[in-house]
Amino acid sequence: MNFPTKSRSVLAALMLAAFSGTGAFAADTITVPSEAAVPVAEVPADAIIVNIEKMKYDQPELKVKTGDTVYWINKEVMPHNVAFKKGVVGDEPFKGEMLKKDQAYSITFNEAGSYEYHCTPHPFMRATVIVE
Amino acid sequence: MALSRRATIKDTRLLGLCATSFLLATGPIMVQAQESGAAEPVTATATAAADGQTEGQREAAEGARQLAAGEADEPIILNAPKPDARRVYVQDPAHFAAITQQFVIDGSTGQVLGMTDGGFLPQPVTAEDGSFFAQASTVFSRIARGTRTDYIEVFDPETFLPTADIELPKDARFLVGTYQWMNALTPDNKTFLFYQFSPAPSVGVVDLENQQFARMLDVPDCYHIFPASPTVFYMNCRDGSLARVDFSGEEPQVTNTEVFHTEEELLINHPAYSMRVGRLVWPTYTGKIFQMDLTAEAAKFREPIEALTEAERAEGWRPGGWQQTAYHRQSDRIFLLVDQRDEWRHKTASRFVVVLNAATGERLAKFEMGHEIDSINVSQDAEPLLYGLSSGTQTLHVYDAGSGEELRSVNQLGRGPQVLLTHDMES
Ligand SMILES: [Cu+2]
Repeated sequence: MNFPTKSRSVLAALMLAAFSGTGAFAADTITVPSEAAVPVAEVPADAIIVNIEKMKYDQPELKVKTGDTVYWINKEVMPHNVAFKKGVVGDEPFKGEMLKKDQAYSITFNEAGSYEYHCTPHPFMRATVIVE
Repeated sequence: MALSRRATIKDTRLLGLCATSFLLATGPIMVQAQESGAAEPVTATATAAADGQTEGQREAAEGARQLAAGEADEPIILNAPKPDARRVYVQDPAHFAAITQQFVIDGSTGQVLGMTDGGFLPQPVTAEDGSFFAQASTVFSRIARGTRTDYIEVFDPETFLPTADIELPKDARFLVGTYQWMNALTPDNKTFLFYQFSPAPSVGVVDLENQQFARMLDVPDCYHIFPASPTVFYMNCRDGSLARVDFSGEEPQVTNTEVFHTEEELLINHPAYSMRVGRLVWPTYTGKIFQMDLTAEAAKFREPIEALTEAERAEGWRPGGWQQTAYHRQSDRIFLLVDQRDEWRHKTASRFVVVLNAATGERLAKFEMGHEIDSINVSQDAEPLLYGLSSGTQTLHVYDAGSGEELRSVNQLGRGPQVLLTHDMES
């Protein structure tokens, strides 16, 4: 049950998706193209990727440009996700879907800034996306 | 019904206690009380107080004597006696039920002195000097759903009335099987520290003097809280070190000790810690015991000792249970729950307790407890009692900590009692 922790941008994205079939919603800090995890085969060949393996995000500090979409791919059977504390991408905390092995989750960063994230069940797994 | 003369009238909250202890008496008691009352009313009290009489028998005899003497029944609210070193608190997490209970027991007599209600997985603490006890608790607006409220509650140790109710920030508490040292009072009893797991490791600071939540402290990936001074505590970190956290200033100052155990040496969730002397006693799954002396300045590591002999380990002896470790400060003794078990049955009950000299690691005794025991603790007086709690039978067994002889037991302690706390108030 995710509703209490969903950020408004995700709810907005979901509503847009429901109406128009696209998740693009450029006014928010982040946009989530798909709320559900997707198979790794659907990740574009030229995507910006953070792999998750051995209880770690493989890029502790990833630098991207405004508007870039980052894909997280879980390479192991231990489930992981991407979550932001409240105040990072909005007033409410944000909790991405849990990824099983070979599943991916993407987030588009619409504003410059430093976005620290963690894995919900593994708070010791932490990393940052720096958007320039 | 017999009521203590030291009782004072407060409210109706504790009235049930008298009835409870009365009901615990068994059938033949009434007959005996009547007989002694009829035959020799003047000496009934003395007869009832003799060895071998249960509390129910004593109270029945006293009631019969009062009736015979024409004394009227004056129902009142009882106070518990002043806390002493032999008072023991039995926390019942009740297998993750939404509400819970704590039983307060006189270890010397095995009498239930009173009870406190708690919410979901509350964390109890006791002031070492006996001046109060408290708990961090969680309730919801619709029993187990709806709006969640986390709070700290402080109790008077004699009336059991709440003297403070301090609300915590939203979802601040770590909801987990009750680990004794996941919450702690500072040695000056002015601050309550509680652990938060998600979204990031942090420690909540509650100002008990001004009865208000103060702040959350960001800490590294570390667990448990062992206060060494009013503003310094230690934690056990994922990387195998201890973290020393000094929160006297605006930003907590964190320093890490050396790594003191390997990744294969699994430290259990229930270390023993004597705040009075700063001794931390931390067994692994195999019974290897790490000891540290924590001061405000630094942690000093002692040479690890083995609770089990090589021969025992070869025969499958391992620690197991819930609160598996106890430390007696005055005599510097360690008590550990052990039994023969598979490596991955570390949470099943044990039937034995080994006693060690903490300074030398020498085996002092191995007690057969006679029951399936999940948790142990000791009173901190000079002639300590060893408490052995069975979650399965909801019974507290009280032993002489020197001989291991079972002295008495207290049953009907909730659904699944698991945690034992005492006051370290005997100097
Ligand atoms: Cu994870």
